[in-house]
Amino acid sequence: MRAMMMKEFRELRRDKRTLAMLVALPLLLLIVFGYAANFTVDELKVAVVGSQADAVVDMLEGADGEATGDRTLDVVSSDPGGSDGDARDQLRDDHADLAIVTGDALSDDASGAAPIVYIDGSNLFAAQSANVLMAGLGDQVTSEILYNPDLETSWVMVPALIGLILTFIGTIITSIGLVREREAGTLEQLAVMPFSSSQVILGKITPYFLLACFDMAVVTLLGMWIFGVPFVGSVVAFVLGAAIFLFVVLGLGVLISTVSQTTGQAVQVALMTLLPQVLLSGMIFPLDAMAAGVRWIGYVLPLTWFTKISQGVMLRDASWDYLWLPLVILAVMAVVIFGAATLRLGREISPKGAR
Amino acid sequence: MSAGRHARGFERSELLVQARGVTRTYGDVRAVDDMSLEVAPGEIVGLLGANGAGKTTLLRVLLALEAADAGEVEVLGSAPAAVDRHALGYVPQGLGLYTDLSTDQNVEFVAQAYGVAEPPPLPDELAAVRTALVAEIGLGLQRRLAFYCALMHAPRLLVLDEPTSGVDPLARARLWDTIHEQAEAGVGVLVTTHYLQEAAQCTRLEIMSHGRRVAHGTVADITSGREAVVVRGDDWAAVFGALADAGLPVVLDGRTTRVAGTPAADVEAALAGAGVEARTDVVPATLEETMVLVERAGAEA
Repeated sequence: MRAMMMKEFRELRRDKRTLAMLVALPLLLLIVFGYAANFTVDELKVAVVGSQADAVVDMLEGADGEATGDRTLDVVSSDPGGSDGDARDQLRDDHADLAIVTGDALSDDASGAAPIVYIDGSNLFAAQSANVLMAGLGDQVTSEILYNPDLETSWVMVPALIGLILTFIGTIITSIGLVREREAGTLEQLAVMPFSSSQVILGKITPYFLLACFDMAVVTLLGMWIFGVPFVGSVVAFVLGAAIFLFVVLGLGVLISTVSQTTGQAVQVALMTLLPQVLLSGMIFPLDAMAAGVRWIGYVLPLTWFTKISQGVMLRDASWDYLWLPLVILAVMAVVIFGAATLRLGREISPKGAR
Repeated sequence: MSAGRHARGFERSELLVQARGVTRTYGDVRAVDDMSLEVAPGEIVGLLGANGAGKTTLLRVLLALEAADAGEVEVLGSAPAAVDRHALGYVPQGLGLYTDLSTDQNVEFVAQAYGVAEPPPLPDELAAVRTALVAEIGLGLQRRLAFYCALMHAPRLLVLDEPTSGVDPLARARLWDTIHEQAEAGVGVLVTTHYLQEAAQCTRLEIMSHGRRVAHGTVADITSGREAVVVRGDDWAAVFGALADAGLPVVLDGRTTRVAGTPAADVEAALAGAGVEARTDVVPATLEETMVLVERAGAEA
């Protein structure tokens, strides 16, 4: 038995990927569950509009822990001249979790009454937190949850899940498809056939691109049909975001295939990129509740940005004002990752002349 | 076609492969070292050598799958990277077939890739497994299919990397029939092999050892001038033991014993030293013995 154990350890020592998984995975899980696995959002971003805005801000800033529980209210904007619409815009474009409408900004039939607090329901955990806070204030304010009035988890999960499915197809399935060619020796055969390297790459990737598009449409429609998830925003923005995101994840898949010799290796590496995206993209644990260091990991993951787009478009009809940043970040990722991937793969299959 | 037909009999412009001084290094290892090679139309050039001799690397350079570090390479009249791939047929060691597709689907893919509108009819054995997955049709048939796919577009140069390894003798003979047919039709064939019986079927041989060309020419060219001593004694076991003890490269051939590349006098001295009586005759070395000799010479160099 000792011989068997020695052999196993020796094999493991040679297998850098498994070793990385053995070391990196526990560390990742420790970090994630230590710093990131937190459903409670303690810090809520607040926007205040209306003639009494300054007074409300003073009150909020002067409020002690007793009034707010353990939560911190962070006033991000105060606009005495703002209207009810401005307050909603603050939530729609995710500048704030809460928007308080005061004084003359209240609609006529509500004027003179208590301020209205709008809560962004698409930011599920922040909304729950805010909801508890509002309940504590009783009749002093009227609160209304926008974008996800019943605080349905599925409404928030389905848009994120679309991104996860695209990631799954783009990264795992694509890298397996490519590595299988390498394993079978057919990649070499393709290089000798009268194909250009771009024909090989495009011919190889396009089917996965189409499959992913099809899957995306199915999941989106099923999510809307089964869970009643709304789609209030621009289809163009959604499709644009999804297409750019697909290039990122397909590029990731191709990149993984160029560093893997076998299907097993490809799956291993793909899982190592998938797991952090599931845990740290804000899909499960809210980014706002993560420790700053871990949150930054989330910000370098493509799924984080796609989730912002899909949730923003589907639930809140977010404006281009909000969408441009995630779109640009994804576009930069797409250019870098997809570019590097096709370059590497192209170098492998394009003819090489004497140097 | 005469077995003695040489590339040198062709105009340079006719040559399908012309490689001179090709070198390919991986780190400190010279996988191919100053290797030269020519293939003319209608020739079957056999590339022989032990595992790791550099045969596959040389093929990969010719096919532009790798770049040479030094040397000149011309394939079908152009640099490897610029070769018209429609004129090239390649059967890699791993066959390069899609084993999760059917025979027909593989044929269709290759036909479309090469723009062959009407692929030639499938041989009967393959036609019988049209719809079967390639993974399920057995290695012999897989090799036939790989040949069929490589020949479908009527290439002028056929490159085969150990085309018959793992195939039973009958199927191997059939694959060689195909190779001969192609050569007779004017196709130049470059084939690597481990099997010396196959080497004997080549027009010319190039023997590689440690990346270098250690011998080349026809079988007769290569074996000529190399001799073996045949030793016959009443007690073959004693003869074998005496020669082996003397450290000579002895092999048993039936009940006679052969020692290649060693002067008869040394053999006789070894026998006398052990007190064994036997007759010695000097004969031409076989291809196999020659291979061992050039391999040893290559290793020493």
